[in-house]
Amino acid sequence: MDDENKDLVPKKQTLFPLTPDDIVDNALQNLDENQARRVTQKAADEMVRIAVDKRKAEYKNSAAQEEMRNLINNANLLDKSVDDYKINSTIETASGTTSVEIRKSKFTTKNIIAIALGLAVLILLAFFLLTRN
Amino acid sequence: MKVLLGLDEKSLNELFELYKNQFGRGAARYARKTLQKWKDGKVRPNEQTYRRFLIHLPKVMSYDLKCEVLRHLMEEYCSKGHYELTVYTDDWEKALTPLVRQIIDKSYTAELPLEVERKLRWLADGEMQIAQDILRKSQIEEGKIAVSMLREEFANIENLLENTQWQSRVTHKLELPYGTINLNIKRR
Repeated sequence: MDDENKDLVPKKQTLFPLTPDDIVDNALQNLDENQARRVTQKAADEMVRIAVDKRKAEYKNSAAQEEMRNLINNANLLDKSVDDYKINSTIETASGTTSVEIRKSKFTTKNIIAIALGLAVLILLAFFLLTRN
Repeated sequence: MKVLLGLDEKSLNELFELYKNQFGRGAARYARKTLQKWKDGKVRPNEQTYRRFLIHLPKVMSYDLKCEVLRHLMEEYCSKGHYELTVYTDDWEKALTPLVRQIIDKSYTAELPLEVERKLRWLADGEMQIAQDILRKSQIEEGKIAVSMLREEFANIENLLENTQWQSRVTHKLELPYGTINLNIKRR
């Protein structure tokens, strides 16, 4: 297997190496003329459907890219104007659905740990001072 | 039955027209009336209705309509996998490739359960066997289309993670004909 075939996303390779004739080539021998015509037509219809799906995927890809850019801009705008915010977004892409959550909060995990540690130190100190007498 | 009733409006209308011609106006009216209940699983069609729809009707159905029923049967009955994976924006391709390849390859060997094939004998006809082969090849192409733009999609996600200063959580549900992969995407 060459390097190109090892890639998940082929760099320069047609997605449609098969023609309707290829698909039904060997299988047609046992069919009558009408059946053979129907099967060949079906194979051709499927090729068209796949080509339409491919075009739709390209449109979805462009739209998703635009939505992602808008999301970054909105987050950056909110960043300048407010202290706390949370954005949830679901974007339909060519391969599925991307879900994004962006959150800005004073109470981040690090802050909460720092506060908890501070409180623990204060309690220990108070306990130490009270028990000394 | 759920598979059959998941057909699009045009195919469904064609199916009910055939049903009316074969089994009478009253039976067709009843079938239409209870359609939604069957879809929702509130009512199970009786044995006679099941046999009419899935065993007798295909004898008079167009090849296209039979292929649509076959497509739905394959989607419903051929086994699908669900996977969860955490990937980083710099190693996703390496981590994802074997799994995606494995799921796409399932299309080559996808078979309907024996019980379904045994009951629906029309599936064994020569032209339906070829239809199954055509649909398998379509599913392979569908899978390839889905992953063909993954590089760009991941570039977008990396850009988002780079350009948002606070906590960002990104997940992606990758949908292929024979499996779904839920990705938790992180940046180092």
